[in-house]
Amino acid sequence: MSAVESARPARARKRRKRDFWSIGGWIFLALLLIFSLVPMVWMFLTSIKTQFAAIEYPPQWLPKHPTLDSYRRLLSPSNDFGRDFLRWLGNSVWVSTATTILGVIIAVPAAYAFSRFRFPGRNGLFYSVLVRNMFPAVVFLMPLFVVMRTLDLVNTHWSLILTYLTFGLPLSIWLLKGFYDNIPIELEYAARIDGASRFQAFLRIIMPLSAPGIIATAIYSFIVAWNEYLYAYTFINSRELLTSPVGLRTFFTEFVTNWPGLMAAAFIMSVPVVVLFLVLQKYFVKALTEGAVKS
Amino acid sequence: MAQVTLDRVEKRYGDVIAVNQVSLTIEDGEFVALVGPSGCGKTTTLNLIAGLLELTDGDIYIGDTLINDLDPKDRDIAMVFQNYALYPNKTVYKNLAFPLQMRKVKKQDIDARVRETARLLSIEQLLERRPRELSGGQQQRVALGRALVRNPRVFLMDEPLSNLDAKLRVQMRAELKRFHQDINATIIYVTHDQLEAVTMADKMAVMSGGYLQQYDAPDVVYNHPVNTFVAGFVGSPAMNLLRARAAREQDVTRLSSGDGWSVPLNDALASRVATSSTDEIVVGLRHNAIRLVDGAATGAVPATVYTVEPTGDITFVHARLGDAMIVFSVGPASTLAADDQIFLQFDQEHMHLFDGATEQALAR
Repeated sequence: MSAVESARPARARKRRKRDFWSIGGWIFLALLLIFSLVPMVWMFLTSIKTQFAAIEYPPQWLPKHPTLDSYRRLLSPSNDFGRDFLRWLGNSVWVSTATTILGVIIAVPAAYAFSRFRFPGRNGLFYSVLVRNMFPAVVFLMPLFVVMRTLDLVNTHWSLILTYLTFGLPLSIWLLKGFYDNIPIELEYAARIDGASRFQAFLRIIMPLSAPGIIATAIYSFIVAWNEYLYAYTFINSRELLTSPVGLRTFFTEFVTNWPGLMAAAFIMSVPVVVLFLVLQKYFVKALTEGAVKS
Repeated sequence: MAQVTLDRVEKRYGDVIAVNQVSLTIEDGEFVALVGPSGCGKTTTLNLIAGLLELTDGDIYIGDTLINDLDPKDRDIAMVFQNYALYPNKTVYKNLAFPLQMRKVKKQDIDARVRETARLLSIEQLLERRPRELSGGQQQRVALGRALVRNPRVFLMDEPLSNLDAKLRVQMRAELKRFHQDINATIIYVTHDQLEAVTMADKMAVMSGGYLQQYDAPDVVYNHPVNTFVAGFVGSPAMNLLRARAAREQDVTRLSSGDGWSVPLNDALASRVATSSTDEIVVGLRHNAIRLVDGAATGAVPATVYTVEPTGDITFVHARLGDAMIVFSVGPASTLAADDQIFLQFDQEHMHLFDGATEQALAR
């Protein structure tokens, strides 16, 4: 029976492969891949050139004398260059991680409450969460700066963490609420009758089922915080407190730009994001297929 | 196992009263079905007993314990849900073990109890599977097992069979009934299917509009419905309910519909009609209390066949009687056909009479 059923879709798939739209789709995807990959490849190639080779014209497509000098300098704490870069990287890790963890801690119960409880002002509050996303970030730059000054947080990492939370939370809450809406309330009922308190039912039954949503929102929060430039540039003015996107700017100086150094730094910065995404994506798919809720 | 007592239980949502002053006692070891059409308050009542909803008013006892304010986990109950509510990310084994884990049962005891329960329900070979890998019937068994594994004082079941196909439902119905007899459990069972209630329960509580209409053994409810709602709800096909007016002339009480039929009543029925608050009467007749006769018989009323439904061993005939449509049954050999003109006689031994104003049964 299953052999018959599985044979049919396989044949259908084969036929579809020769389809015009399918080929068009592949070409489109290939172009998209080139579009997003070429800058990254160029970034890497430049990062292993010497300063001279990097500004040569016509450009060397492949470096004639590849060198890891830039990486060595960036990652060695024995020179000023490396010390600064490593500190900024550390700052970015701290700010992004704190934003992500706090975001999950706030978004999970908030989304659960919006999904499960009926309270006065529930709808108004829920939609007001989204208002933040209707305006470009720059609109909030001055008001938030004033707020942070009042709170005496200017030039601290907490000013960034709090700001990034306001970016990430609306989407996190919306996404997670969708997850909780799809988990039948009877599962919680069953757990509570089986001997769990409301909180235990949430922790032991509902949380694992919403793991894919939590991971997705965590990745989103982390990447937003990791890449953010405008607020980090405005709120932080001590050199040792800068996050890495702002720090990168110091590679541009009035007279000379250290292209290989800049590219190496950018490459190192993109590593944690890519690794995080690849590792968690595996778990993401696993959680989706194994923990599927049957309605 | 324990007795469950509901004392004037009430649940309101704003101005809407979902459950209105419901009082009933479920004896230790009894199988009670809460039955009624959707929106009648039966599931709300069950959730109140489970503690998943808060009471607006009234008291609920399990045994001698007042449980109004107890958490569901402290009520020592188990529940089977319509959609089974199996934990999708846990294997069958872990689903069964969960209630025991939450009650801090020792690990080797958990294992023994889980395997014993699995054996009882013949699901031993499924223990390492996940719920989505099971068929509907298997999921149903696991849900039952999760309720059974802990020896709770009361089982609550919310339409546990309604997601199964017809054949499996009949089989599980028999198994559930047998299971009740074997472990002598107190079971409160919610269903909209009166047939399930009649076939399985020791007692049935018929609900409508948030009110408890009648609470008695199925045969009593079937044979002596207290009002027109219960009369029309319990039994399949539904009881024929005909409006008529009572009049007494020359020492004989007659019921006349005003649209083509009139029958004289025997003395027993006549004296019951006399107790009615109005001369408007609702006559209740089951399909087997209407006989096909020839025109000369006493009390024969004319009717027209509308359609004939043979079911094999019994044939149901829908017929027009005055303005009303009625259903009665004949043997499988019947040659009746649509549009035949026929005469019917009401079996006065099995005639139900209701007050036309209050819709309550007229006392015997």
